[in-house]
Amino acid sequence: MLRLLPAIIALGAFAAILAGWAAGGGAVEAAWAPSWGLELSFELDGLGALYGLLATGIGFPVFAYAARYLPLHLDHQGRSHREEWRFFGLLLLFMVSMVGLVTARDLILLFVFWDLTAVSSYFLIGYDRQEAEARSSALMALLVTGVTAVLLLAAILLLWAEYGTFSLPELAARARPGALVTGAGVLVAIAGLAKSAQVPFHFWLPRAMAAPTPVSAYLHSAAMVAAGVFLLARFYPLLALSGLVLDLLLAAGLASIAIGGVLALTCDRLKQVLAYSTISQYGYVATMYGLGGGKSVAAAAFYVLSHALAKSALFLTAGAVTEATGEDRLSRLGGLARSMPALAVGSGLAAAGLAALPLTIGFFKDELFFAASFDDSWPAAVAAVAAAGLTFAYIGRFWLRIFAGRRRSDAVRLPPLLTAPVAVLGLAVLLGGAFAPPFGDLAAAAARASAGAVPPIEPAYHLDARAENLMALAAYATGILLLAAPWLWRRPAAWVASTGARLGPERAYTVGLAGLNRFSDAIHEIEVRDLRSRIAAVLVPGGALAVAGLAATPTAGAYRAGTLSTDDLALVLTLAVVALAAIGTAAPRHHLTLLLSVAGVGFGLAVVYALLGGPDVALVAVLVETVAALVFLGVFALVPRDVLRRMEAIPTPRRRRWRDPAIGIFAGAVVFFVVWGALSRPSPAAAIADEHVRLAPQAHAKDVVTAILADFRGLDTLGEITVIAVALVGVTTLLARGRLR
Amino acid sequence: MRPTLSQAVARLILLPGLAISIATLVKGYGDAGDGFAAGVIAALTLLVQYVAFGYREAERRIPGLRRLPVAAVAGLARALAVALVPAARGDAILTHWPPPGDSPVRLGTLELVSAVLFDVGVFLVVLGVVTGAVGAIARAAERAGGRA
Repeated sequence: MLRLLPAIIALGAFAAILAGWAAGGGAVEAAWAPSWGLELSFELDGLGALYGLLATGIGFPVFAYAARYLPLHLDHQGRSHREEWRFFGLLLLFMVSMVGLVTARDLILLFVFWDLTAVSSYFLIGYDRQEAEARSSALMALLVTGVTAVLLLAAILLLWAEYGTFSLPELAARARPGALVTGAGVLVAIAGLAKSAQVPFHFWLPRAMAAPTPVSAYLHSAAMVAAGVFLLARFYPLLALSGLVLDLLLAAGLASIAIGGVLALTCDRLKQVLAYSTISQYGYVATMYGLGGGKSVAAAAFYVLSHALAKSALFLTAGAVTEATGEDRLSRLGGLARSMPALAVGSGLAAAGLAALPLTIGFFKDELFFAASFDDSWPAAVAAVAAAGLTFAYIGRFWLRIFAGRRRSDAVRLPPLLTAPVAVLGLAVLLGGAFAPPFGDLAAAAARASAGAVPPIEPAYHLDARAENLMALAAYATGILLLAAPWLWRRPAAWVASTGARLGPERAYTVGLAGLNRFSDAIHEIEVRDLRSRIAAVLVPGGALAVAGLAATPTAGAYRAGTLSTDDLALVLTLAVVALAAIGTAAPRHHLTLLLSVAGVGFGLAVVYALLGGPDVALVAVLVETVAALVFLGVFALVPRDVLRRMEAIPTPRRRRWRDPAIGIFAGAVVFFVVWGALSRPSPAAAIADEHVRLAPQAHAKDVVTAILADFRGLDTLGEITVIAVALVGVTTLLARGRLR
Repeated sequence: MRPTLSQAVARLILLPGLAISIATLVKGYGDAGDGFAAGVIAALTLLVQYVAFGYREAERRIPGLRRLPVAAVAGLARALAVALVPAARGDAILTHWPPPGDSPVRLGTLELVSAVLFDVGVFLVVLGVVTGAVGAIARAAERAGGRA
């Protein structure tokens, strides 16, 4: 079955990473732009292995689930099954960029993959593109994670400017505490927190639930949001140099735990509950990085691992339940355990893992978390217990409302491919609880990549009254209390939800976006009213900037007039003809005359190039001028003749009669002085030209211009011909689909 | 119907025009002209055919003209290949062969260097794009019921 191919690819990638990791990791390097210090350099270290195994290992069951889910989804919406390939292509692209991100050693490369995950997630969240909500949610996710990605780039460039390397290990060795490292650390932390949907950037995640379920299960449990904390882990050696950055992480993490947890407790929609839960869970991770120290970093790595297993299973459960019953609200569900026992058991295991019950891998995630916070301080320990209690309560509510109690809706039988992945992930959660050491080793290796020396993680059950066990018992008790007595928290939680909706950061986003739109519309209106206004909108501000530049430069010796000899007579005469033709273009009203006088300017300039000894440039100028004239002729031939005549007869409006010439003369004068000033001094541009002439023989070229185009500036040429080819695609598509008149 | 003057000129100009274009291309590294100029010369020669004969007749007379836009894709692929092959060998992208100092292989007066291969890519893109765009406009104009 071809639909299962993506799942098989994911499984293969998982096996490859696992084998590579078992063989002791390794690195791949290829030159990219060595003169800029960039290389395509990948390394499979502990951190890369952990996140790479998560991205592919969770990818496998999710892709298998999607193979069955997506045809149903498209059927519900009356869409063609051919759209599946777009979905799986994007999912695979996302997986590849995720693996690239976590193994990249070069920071620019890391940034490229970082943006690739944002771009592919944009298309995945907005996959149901006929729905306005999906589109605006996708845009929100893209803006929040994309704008903050620019901060990451800024941080990378700051560090590069100071330490001269894009390689993280070298940076970690060279960086010293200081304002610059703190500033860069804050930027990196913001980028990571936004991607992980941490307060105050959390609002995009619940909106992103407009995505099809497999997308949520994959991106919003194991990949996209995990990339954020991965960034924190990757940069941890630098972040840890500044107490301020760690405090920032701690504050954002604690706020996310609280707000995400409370909102997860109050939400009614299945996927929304899980989205807020994700915010809260990654809050734990951010908090642990904020606490700092090898023990916390190791606990954080383990936490990411166990959370991703449990959360993806729960997302898949939500999708399966909605598929079976047609309901997506907790208040309309209940008692489904009897009709779908496998799903109930699988998701029950996952929920138990999230609630940190013993015998699941989740128990150890909380144990490590408790140990780290207990070592830190008693307020941290109290907060940890409260947070774990909150998690226990909301995830217990989620599961019980769906599977226990009175039955409120009918359920159709689910295809096995929608149930099996949940069961597999649930069993993995259980397996992690029974045989935890391999998972612990992986997390410890990941933590060593972040924090150097890290105590080994030795997950085991201890039946004694140690602090972690007591804290776990206290957390269970808190959770049960919250579950049993909802009247305790209902009103304050509702207040938090309504206040957040009224004054929260999402409102700032909406208002800011609307303002930007209005601003852009206003500029657009000025710019596109007609062609003259559009040109004026470029010439006037550009000219004003140039005038400011000219005014700021010292004028002494800046404008030198050379001498003329009789040899220059031909040149001067040609230039005079060009100038006359240029002035002449302002006069004619007939289109053909106008075209010919413009072409005359161009051909005159070609003669000037030839006289100045640039046969190459002259040749190209003649050719370009010919093509341009022919294209204009062609366009005129397409416009009906009476329209052309009518256009010719329109008189120039009175206010235009002075405005347009004034703008033209102003722009021309500015260009004149800029060019004069540039030609008056021996510029670095001339030095570069000399260098090109000197190097051309070494490039086996006798023609410098060709050598520049094909060799010295070959990359520019490559970009340009790409643009030209893309333009052809645009032209043919528009002409094939649209109408000419 | 007797051929008009423009058709006679178009017929005369076709082969010399293409020959000049090819010459400009292959000699571009040693003399004035390059892939871009060669592409425009070839495209202009073909444009004259379009103008003189109309696109149907021109495409009938010159086999393969209709498929020429594919050349743009081929040219881009070729340029990309020249750019990326050195990367696979561990050099920076667009590292040309032979390296500075080595003398290139000669074929008569022609010197074989990889930069010319890249330039051929540029030539193909320019040729394909110009003829493709003009052909598309001509077709659209005919659909719209105007003169083409």
